[in-house]
Order: sequence, then structure tokens, then C-alpha cells
Amino acid sequence: MTPLDDQDGIWKKSGTGKSRKTTKGRQVDDVAVEQVRELLGERPRRRDHLIEFLHLIQDRYGHLSAAHIAALADEMRMAQTEVYEVATFYAHFDIVKEGEAAPPALTIRVCDSLSCEMAGAQQLQSALEDGLDPSEVRVLRAPCMGRCDTAPVLELGHNHIDHATPEKVHAAIAAGDTHAHVPHYEDFEAYRAAGGYAKLAELRERGDFETVQQTLLDAGVRGLGGAGFPSGKKWGFVRAEAGPRYVAVNGDEGEPGTFKDRYYLEREPHVFFEGLLIAAWAIEAETCFIYMRDEYPAVLEILATEIAALEEAGLVAPGYLELRRGAGAYICGEESAMIESIEGKRGLPRHRPPFVAQVGVYNKPTLVNNVETLHWVTRVLREGGEILSGVERNGRAGLRSYSVSGRVKNPGVHLLPAGSTITDVIEAAGGMLDGHVFKAYQPGGPSSGLLPATLDDVPLDFDTLQPHGSFIGSAAVVVLSDHDKARDAALNMLRFFEDESCGQCTPCRTGCEKAVKLMQAEKWDTDLLEDLCQVMGDASICGLGQAAPNPIRLTIQHFPDEIKG
Amino acid sequence: MLDASETKTVTFELDGEEVTVPEGYTIWEAAHGQGLVIPHLCHKPEKGYRPDGNCRACMVEVEGERVLVPSCIRPVAEGIKVTTDSERARKSREMVMELLVADQPEVKHDASSHFWDMADLNGVTTSRFPKVESDHVPLLDDSHVAMRVNLDACIHCNLCVRACREVQVNDVIGMAGRGHDAKIVFDQDDPMGDSTCVACGECVQACPTGALMPATVLDEHEAGDSQDYDREVDSVCPYCGVGCQISFKVKDDKIKYVEGIDGPANEGRLCVKGRFGFDYIDHPHRLTKPLIRRDDAPAKGLNVDPGNLMTHFREASWDEALDFAAAGMKGRGREVAGFGSAKCSNEEAYLFQKLIRQGFGHNNVDHCTRLCHASSVAALMENVGSGAVTATFNEIENADVAIVIGANPTENHPVAATYFKQFTKRGGKLIVMDPRGQGLKRFASHMLQFKPGADVSMLNAIMNVIVEEGLYDQQYIEAYTENWPAMKEHLKGFEPEKMAEICGIEAEVLRDVARTFAEAKSGMIFWGMGISQHIHGTDNSRCLISLALMCGHVGRPGTGLHPLRGQNNVQGASDAGLVPMFLPDYQSVKDDGVRSAFAEVWNMQDLSDENGLTVTEIMDAVHEDKIKSMYILGENPAMSDPDVDHARDALAKLDHLVVQDLFITETANYADVILPSSGWYEKNGTVTNTNRQVQMGRAVAPPPGEAREDWWIEVELAKRLGLDWNYTHPREVFAEMKLNMRSLDNITWERLEETAVTYPSLSPEDPGQAIVFGEGFPRPEGRARFTPANVIPPDEVPDPEYPFVLITGRQLEHWHTGSMTRRSKVLDSVEPEANCSMHPKTLRKLGVAPGEYLRLTTRRGTVTVMARADRAVAEDNVFLPFAYVEAAANILTNSAIDPYGKIPEFKYAAVRVEARDAVAAE
Repeated sequence: MTPLDDQDGIWKKSGTGKSRKTTKGRQVDDVAVEQVRELLGERPRRRDHLIEFLHLIQDRYGHLSAAHIAALADEMRMAQTEVYEVATFYAHFDIVKEGEAAPPALTIRVCDSLSCEMAGAQQLQSALEDGLDPSEVRVLRAPCMGRCDTAPVLELGHNHIDHATPEKVHAAIAAGDTHAHVPHYEDFEAYRAAGGYAKLAELRERGDFETVQQTLLDAGVRGLGGAGFPSGKKWGFVRAEAGPRYVAVNGDEGEPGTFKDRYYLEREPHVFFEGLLIAAWAIEAETCFIYMRDEYPAVLEILATEIAALEEAGLVAPGYLELRRGAGAYICGEESAMIESIEGKRGLPRHRPPFVAQVGVYNKPTLVNNVETLHWVTRVLREGGEILSGVERNGRAGLRSYSVSGRVKNPGVHLLPAGSTITDVIEAAGGMLDGHVFKAYQPGGPSSGLLPATLDDVPLDFDTLQPHGSFIGSAAVVVLSDHDKARDAALNMLRFFEDESCGQCTPCRTGCEKAVKLMQAEKWDTDLLEDLCQVMGDASICGLGQAAPNPIRLTIQHFPDEIKG
Repeated sequence: MLDASETKTVTFELDGEEVTVPEGYTIWEAAHGQGLVIPHLCHKPEKGYRPDGNCRACMVEVEGERVLVPSCIRPVAEGIKVTTDSERARKSREMVMELLVADQPEVKHDASSHFWDMADLNGVTTSRFPKVESDHVPLLDDSHVAMRVNLDACIHCNLCVRACREVQVNDVIGMAGRGHDAKIVFDQDDPMGDSTCVACGECVQACPTGALMPATVLDEHEAGDSQDYDREVDSVCPYCGVGCQISFKVKDDKIKYVEGIDGPANEGRLCVKGRFGFDYIDHPHRLTKPLIRRDDAPAKGLNVDPGNLMTHFREASWDEALDFAAAGMKGRGREVAGFGSAKCSNEEAYLFQKLIRQGFGHNNVDHCTRLCHASSVAALMENVGSGAVTATFNEIENADVAIVIGANPTENHPVAATYFKQFTKRGGKLIVMDPRGQGLKRFASHMLQFKPGADVSMLNAIMNVIVEEGLYDQQYIEAYTENWPAMKEHLKGFEPEKMAEICGIEAEVLRDVARTFAEAKSGMIFWGMGISQHIHGTDNSRCLISLALMCGHVGRPGTGLHPLRGQNNVQGASDAGLVPMFLPDYQSVKDDGVRSAFAEVWNMQDLSDENGLTVTEIMDAVHEDKIKSMYILGENPAMSDPDVDHARDALAKLDHLVVQDLFITETANYADVILPSSGWYEKNGTVTNTNRQVQMGRAVAPPPGEAREDWWIEVELAKRLGLDWNYTHPREVFAEMKLNMRSLDNITWERLEETAVTYPSLSPEDPGQAIVFGEGFPRPEGRARFTPANVIPPDEVPDPEYPFVLITGRQLEHWHTGSMTRRSKVLDSVEPEANCSMHPKTLRKLGVAPGEYLRLTTRRGTVTVMARADRAVAEDNVFLPFAYVEAAANILTNSAIDPYGKIPEFKYAAVRVEARDAVAAE
């Protein structure tokens, strides 16, 4: 044979140095695969558990490396990008690519939502950034942690520090106090000893759905996540659909200013659990998912412990209650986004119709209830509907758990008649702080915008605030005083929406971003903002984008002097 | 199909008018049916794209609803009142555009983008909104040779994600991050060129903004205009057997870029070759004048530099070259043989076999099907009575389970693979059987990575389970088959427990696969060269046929046997008679009636009734001095034959070799005369894909210089061989073909000008039968046959001297012998040189780092080739693609052949692997 070099017909040569040494794309690293396998253990490689698996890696290694993401994808037979896009959607995952530095071992998240900002969150964050070694501790801003009554707050590791100061933080770091503090609560034994779960047992044995449904309707139990839909009716819709059916508990209490769910779960978790199991009984649920926000590590611990206790006691089959841990995304409080997240995906709200009652988790009929709603289900069924329907004020029936924060003396959860006005709420919260004059209030989270002090005679209930361009939502009341600017509060709210928009639809994704820019101007371009508000309200996919204009519109309407420039 | 009268309809009010549409129509579809144009960005009204409703550019008002409604995803409901032109709806649509326009870049990456069309439609040209911060504007990603990524124009419409994930199911593109920081990413936000991107370009075709563009359309400032072309021509892809339809955008007689169109097989999809591999026709190596070997040329060998061929050849006029070509063949009878091409049109294939048969009085005419699916066709002809697929691959849409064995469709039939992957996303069970853990593995419910060559033991074991567990379809077997008792008896000896050792698959897995396939309502079987290119290739196919028959998985929707054909026209060329045993339509040369029918049309006395020689037999006959002159059109045996040194020696030995091709192929190195022909893009003619779909290929650009269409060259040559040919257009050839090809009944040139037709077509209106043999087979009594197969080991098993198994095959970017694809900029850039794939563990054991060079040696020869790490390859295997002349795989392959199909065992040879220091770059 002729030597190769003499063969001019071999017109392509070796040694280009340009050929790939591997197959296309990032290669799977053997070590990373072993590490991921060890973490996942025997767990079935279910795609809906993707976020749980990401937590396992983040918790162990403090971040998600590209190698671990590739390995997890390989292990789950997913594409790398399918894992990557989920991981990058949630704020609590730290993605570290090849060649990038991993975050330090300790992270401080400083809440910058309205109450905390009013309490000096910015100054707190700056002080911390100045006083800590960034190679050891990283300081990040974060949205509401549901502790607005103790503003400013921060989370050191998983230790929430109330009324936070740099001194408290330094002390906690020195003491290695970086884990969640679980408060004292009524555990399973105590609850059962006090007659708990008798109602459930009774219903399971001889309960009649229609009777239960009627009791709830008569009592006026409504969805306390914010929508206020009559719970009995909702149960009926889901029950009417062909099975399998699921319950999904919305524990993603992310609406800034809201902390009532945490309040109840850190005290009487089994009142909630019994309500959940009654709901599951009512709709004959296949499985119950409890989606709990990652900002509530103590609650997550309580729930995990008490689910185990319920399983141990034989009240539920193992695995019947699936606890799912959020990962830092406000949008997952939107019920269809929450369902996407339960399925292990990015939390993008779904289009309606179809409604989740028909097409929910795994595209099956799903009952989504808020934590507090289920709390009241138990109480109404145990104590009678009059505990709600028997309370009347300003022509409104029922009770409302107002999460009150801001410029009041005694912030916290205040259970008041649902017809209470802001005057009543401030009074229940001990009145205004000394030296502060009541100026404005957020009645139900930033989505409800900002109302002026002059609107002090409106019952803060479902349906009563709509005529004023607002709504009660989750009853997250933040009280502002003459020390605060409405425009600053509105900007704080829009910044929050900008950060938390899922990015799916144009009006919300781009609209929030543009709104923040426009609202930073001394003088607001109100015509343009009004055009923007209109498209956001009319054309956004979900409530986030639709309600995000409320702070803008209400500021233009009620506080025109602040935006004139 | 539902009768129109049975379709449920919905009536609603649209801008005050009552409109009735079929149930399930969206408001957008209904409005467009009325001639209304509702703007849309994220909605692409093309097959495979579901509306996503995210851009909110198509909002309309529905009476009674609190907020506006995205018309693209909202189904029309009875009685709703929709207003598209209300102030409120219009305002929202305008504002959506204004928001998006705010952040568009100064430079328009596509001046004629859909985005700007929609902005115009809304009357939006500028934006009052402040721009996003400059550090939020994504930078250019020009890491991929074929495409440009300018995400500064991205509007987050998600179409590229749907294109990549839902249409092509390549799963490379994702939407990462959140909110206005959300971003289109490749893999883990990697540069496109470093990602797992396979460059199908579906995203480019889907992108409405110019953020993703073919690199050929953009200038150095990233500015471009997708509408800047002179004309569009619809034709068919020249590469694999899928037969994708393509629209070519031509400017100054050059192809500027292409788009997939709605052909029956591809529904708009393309792969990297079809989308970016068209530029080989403009390569400087193109032959533009006839060439005659110089008297003073060096001895024949692989010694012609295709860029400098005047050392060996001189230019000649067509007359001189044709006279010369004919003179070396005329009157030499059995001393002449011909290889036609599976890459030319049906008409050209027909003319080629006619030229050999009529001109030389024998049947020594063959083509590369011999090297691909000859054994599959042999088994199909034997047991089913027809060599073509029984169902289109698109039928997988209706299947519950599918087996893909010995085929790597994600690389070799990428567009067909998209349907397979979609099938799994719908819940279909995909059983992949392959010695390599190939691209479909991730989608498989069962991945059987069996030992190379152990097909029969594995398949018999599966069938044993079906028999022993009574899972077979007794009713079907009784109604439509023969020889079942013998088959049943034969399978008794193949218990999975016994076969597990031989095939390397656990018995329980074999049982589960048997149950899964047999118990499915409808199942399909797809196979490729991994089945056919063995000395037991025919037995392999017999097993697959038996497996389908015993489960009754033939002849119904979602069932069928489908050997995935390799070349764009290997089906058509075989149908047209480029086979030594058959006249067109697989009619035996031994059948007197058949011969007389052809003799009559061809206006001659009789044709030879002797089976001709096959590709490898012809080469042997050259060595035996029986064949001395050859006419080779568009084939490259100097690369494609097994034990290729043997083939090259044969070519050198010929006293007269006529090669008709686009380039100085390796085969043309040995030619005495070279006739420069047209590329597929430069001619008109029909082509038949793996699905039996006959489609019209159209000239997109003129051939360069004096290069001519192949049919014209054939005709001119035939005239000089003394044949009375006077065709002036391929349509005349097609008309002649129809006279003796029943498969073309109801299919006319005129019809094909309008639309693709699947054969058989039962009437002038019938689009053709996607599924055949629902009511029996073209065999005696209409019965298919069970032919038992025994386990035969490969011809050359590993031993201590040659301890590895060499498997040859293809790679996504390269086509067969590389003559086209290695002259395409994109394809050659992505795979620039010879490489072989081995498991990283094996490479470590050999002490070779990926990227270093290996010496592969078999009993036939040695090649030196770069080592690539690939976990998909089994630890004792080497995978070597055969497209690379610098390390021609067929120097190594074994020429042992299957006794029925006469196909060589390309898929199995014993090989020695040694490290070799990296060769310095030249």
C-alpha cells in the first residue's frame, strides 16, 4: 500500500485539533453522579420530585454545581436544561458554573418588603455588608419572610432573627446559631388528648358530605388565601369530577405582610391537619400535597414531624400526606403555579380555563385550599358554624385573621370581626406608634395597593374594597404614617413584583420592569403609567400581573402630591 | 376520517357577526377563518406548535369576562360574544407591542421579521418606555458555525423552547431564570456551540424576531433580512430516506437559506444536514467540465488531489467525453457493469438500469441498497411479499409501543426520530435495542444494550416468551400467516434464561419486553443497518417480521414493519429496478411475462433472464478479469465497499471506468472519464422516501459550468451506445415507468407537481395508503410467512489478537462517504476529521486521553484515528464512522456477506486498538 502522504486522493487530513474529544455538550462527571446517587438513595427518580432533589444537593453542598445538575439530569433521564431552568427559577438555589466561586457557607437574607423596609431594612443590610467578611458570610436581600410583626427581620442560615440588629447577628454567628428555632406547639398527642381527630373519625365512619358542605356554607367558610371563594362550593366542584382527585394545600404564604398561616401552624398545626384530612375525606383524595414555603423552616420541621406522627398513629397511610418544600418563589402562591411547582417544574401560572378543580396536579381534579381555611374547617365542624356566622360587625359576618404590621404599637395576628375597619384594626393593634400619624394602609398585601387614611370606614372584608380599586386578599395590613411616603411604598411593592414575576407573559414581565423605572422618576408620567396599568390589568395571565398596577393607580389617585415632581 | 357532517360545530358572535366553526377551534383560528388578522407573536400557526398564550399580543374581549382573553388559546364556546376591535382590546395589543419594542436592539437582525410585521400591524414603531439596563441586554453568541444567537431581540415568546423541546424533542433550549431576568439558554446557559445542540435549526425557523438566525443571513454587524431573496423553490432534501420537503430561498442563483415545509414526512421539520448542508454544490471542488484521464497520468490510485486534478485529467468537450465514455463500453456485453445511484431521481435510476440491461444484454446493475438494506428486502420479499415498509414512520402516532432496533435515528433519520421521541412524550413505550446506548436511550421505556451480532438469540428469546406465555394473536396468525406450527416448534429451544448469556440481556428484561410488545394494542418495529449489515442480516429481519406477525402488529393503524431507508431515493432506485435480480417493481428477471412486458416497452426482443451480479460480486468479477469496464453514477465504492482496498484495487484494474459525479470522489480517482453532473438541488425529478411517498424534486439553482443533469448524460451516453433514446424531459421517463410499474398507478407527474403521493394510491384522489396489508399479503393465499432463524455467530469474532468489536456507522453531520457533507461548511466544521468513539473507561485502560490518536487494526488493514470519549459505546466496542477518507472505516471491515441479501457484515469485525501519539497538524 502507498504511504498515506503519497495519496493525494486523501484530501482531508487528520490532526485538525478541531474535532470534539467527547460527544456534544457538557459531559457527565462520574464523581458527581456518585454523589447525586448517594443523596437520592432509593428514592424513585420521579420528575415531580425534582425540586426536592435540588434541595438535597443545595443543602449538602451549599450550591448546585454544573456538574451536579448534569449528573442529576442524567440520573433522572432529563435534559440538562430541564433541570437548569427549574433550578434557576427559584431564589433559594445557588447555581455555580465551572470556574465560578461557590457562595460562602453562611447566607444572610435580609427582608426588604414593606414593613421591614419601613423598619430600616436597608440600613440593616448595609451595616451587615460592611461588618461581615464576604468570603464567609453573604448578605442578600429577600422578600417577605412572614415575620412583619417583628420587623426588621433576617434569616441567618435558617435562623430567623426578629427585630434584627448587626449585634444580634454577630452574636448568633459567634454562637453558631444558624438553624431554625421550632417554637413550642400543640403536638399530636396533646391535640388528640384534647379531643382532636374525633370529628375526623366520626366523618370517616358515618359522615355525610352534603351535611358537611352545608355546614361550611352556612358558617361562611371562605378561601382565606385571598380569593374568598366559598369552601363548601369548591369542595363540591372537585368532588363532582372523575377521580383520581388530589388535595393541594397552599402554604406558600408569600404575600408580603401576611403571616397568619405561620401563626396557626406554629401553634396548633393539628387543627389544620384535621381540616386537611376532612377535606381529603370529602373529595376522596388520592393524595394530599402540602406545599410549604421554604421561608418557614420551623413550620417545615413541624409539618414533617407531625406527618410522621399521623402516619405512626395510623391516621394516614405512609406517603398519603406529601410535604413539598418551596424554594423561594412568591408566584408559587398562585394556585396553578403552585401545582406546576408540585410537579417539579418552574412555577408558571397556567391559563384558565380549565380551572384546577378540573385540571390540577398531574392534570387531575385538585382541591386547593389555604392553610387557614382548613384551620377554620376544623373549628367550624368541631365548634359549630356560629363561631363565624355568629359574629357580626358593620353588616358583615365572620372573623378575619388580620396580619398587622407597620406603624402600630402591637403588631401581630389579630383575630377580629370580618367587618372591622382600619380604625378597628389599628385600635386592636394598640394604636399608632407614638409620634406617628396614620396616613395610609395596605389592606391586603401589595396586590391590594395602598389606601389613604381617609378611607377609614370601610369594612376590611371580601367584596367591600373592590369599589375602591383594592381588595382584602390575605388581610395583610401594613399601616403607614406621616413618616412614610406612599410613592416609596408603591415602589417597594412594584420592585417586589418585578422580582417575583415569573416572566411568562409580556405585560407582567416587561410591565413590572418598566413600571419600576417610571416610578423612580421624580415626576411620574401618569398617562404612560395608566396605559401600562391597563395592559397589565387586562392582559396579564395571572393575578400577580393583573393586581400589580393597584399600588400605582391608588398612589396616583390618592397621593397625587407625592408624584408631581 | 370524520365526515364533515359529523364534525361538531360551535356558533358564536365575532365582532357582531355570527360565526360557526368546528368544535375545538380557538378564537384566533376562527377569526383567521373569517379573514381577520389578529396579531400574534408567540403563536406559530404551524403543525407541531401548540399555542402558548404568553405574549398577549392577540388579546380580545369576551363579553362577561373580567379580563381580556388570549385568542390563540381560548377555544370558542357556544354563544360567546367576542370583540376583537374594541378600544380596550386594541389598546392592550398595542401596549404589548410598545413594551416589547422598547427593548429591541438598534440593529435589526431580521429586517423582515414577523415581530416587526406585527408591530406594523399594530401601528407601533417606537416606544415611550425606558429601555432595560444595558447590563441586562444579552450579548452576541456566535459560538455556532450555523446559527447566530442575538438574544437582545428576544421577546421571551418561548417558540424556540417549544421548537427544541416539543417539536424536535432535542431538549437543548430552556427558559431559565425568572421575571425579566428570564433568559433563553442552551443546556446550562452554555454557548450554543458548546452545548448539546444538534443544529436542527428548528428554533431559527420558529423565532419571530431574528434573535435566532441562520448565520448565512447575517452580515458582520449582525444585520440581516430573511426576505431578501429572489425566489423560493420547494423541493426535497438530498440526504436521508425521510424525504423532508424544503423551501429554498435563492438569491443570485445561490441558496441563501432554507426552511422546512409541510411535507407528509416532515411537517416543517429538518435536521442539520437538510437545513445547513446545502452549500456543497458551491464547493470549489465542483466539476464543471467533462474530464478525460491524461495519457501521461500516473498509475491509477487514490492519488488525485480534488483541488488540483489537472495532473491526472484534462478537460474535454461533452461530445468528446461522451464518445470516449461510450467507446470504452460499447459492444462489450458482459465485460461492462454499472452502479447506479440511490441519490438521483427515480427517472435517472430507471434510465440507468435500462441502459445496462438494454445496452449490454445482462443484469449486472446494482446500487448501494446492496450495502444497506438488501437483507431486509430479501426477508420482506420472502415473508411479506413486498420489500417496502408496511406503514409510514409517522404511524407511530397511533402506536402504543414501538421497537427500534439496530437503528440510530436521532443521527441517521433525525426527523423521523422527532416523531419517535414525541411518541414517548405522549406515553408510548419505546423499546430500544442496540449495542450502543444511542440517543433514543433517554426516551426508552426499555433499553436493551445487547451484545453486537446477538440479534437472533435476543429476538428468538422474546418470541419464545410470546409463544410460551400464549401472548400471540391466534386469530391473526390463522387468518393471515403460514408456517406457524414450525415456527412455534422452532422457538421452543430459545428460553430467555438460555439466551441471556448469548445476547447479554437478562431473562426478566426479555420477558418484560415480550409482554410489553405482544400485549400492546398496536406496535411497530423500526430497524436499520444494525439489523441488515450482518452475515445473518436476513435472519435478523426474518425474526422481526415473525415478531410483528405473531402479535398481529401489521396492517392496522399504529402497527407495521419499517426498515428505515438510508438514502433519499434508495426506495425509489430499488423500485425503479436498480437491482440485479429485478426489473422495476421487484419483478423477477426470470419471469418470462415480466421480461416480455418490458421488452415490448423498450422495443427489443428479450432481456436477460439471468440474475445479475451484486455490488461486491461485481468487484470480485473485476478481480477475476470478467468485468473490465464500468459505468458508475453517483456511487463511491472506493469508500463504501467492505475491505475497501480490495475494491480500490478492482477499480484500478478496470480498463475503462466512467464516473459521473459532482466531485473527484475517491472512486473518480480511478476514472478514465469523468462526466460532471448536477447536484440534487440542480435538477427536476421524482424521489421516493422510506414511507413510500413519491415527491417532486425541483431544480433550485442551475448546475455550475457545463455540469449537466444526470438523466441528460444517461440519454446522451445511451445514444452513443446505439440505443434509440429520445427523452427530452424526466416526465417522459416517468410516463414510461408507469407502463410497467403498478406501484405508480394513479400517480402522475402532474399530480406530483401539486402534492406528494404515497404508493399504493387507490384512485386519482387517494393521497395514498400509509398502511398496507390490512387484508392480506401479496403472497400465495394472501398469507405472510414465518421463517425460523437460527443463531449464527458473526463471521469474525474477537480473539486475543483482535480483542475488540468494530462497529461502523454514521454520524449526524456526515453523509455516507462524505463527498457532499465534508464539502459543506457547517457540517465539516462540526465534524472536521475522522474519529472513533470508545467508552471513557476503555480509553483510560488504554492510556489514551480523549482527543489523542488510536491505531485500529483488523485482518484487512489499519487506520489511525482520533479517539472520542462516548459513554454510549460498550466497553469492548469501537464505533467508527465511515465518512472519513483519512481513516476509511472500510479499510477495516469484513467483506463476508449474508447469503440471501449479499450484504457485507459492516457492523462487526474483530479489531485491535492501540495508542498512537497524536499526529501533528499538517
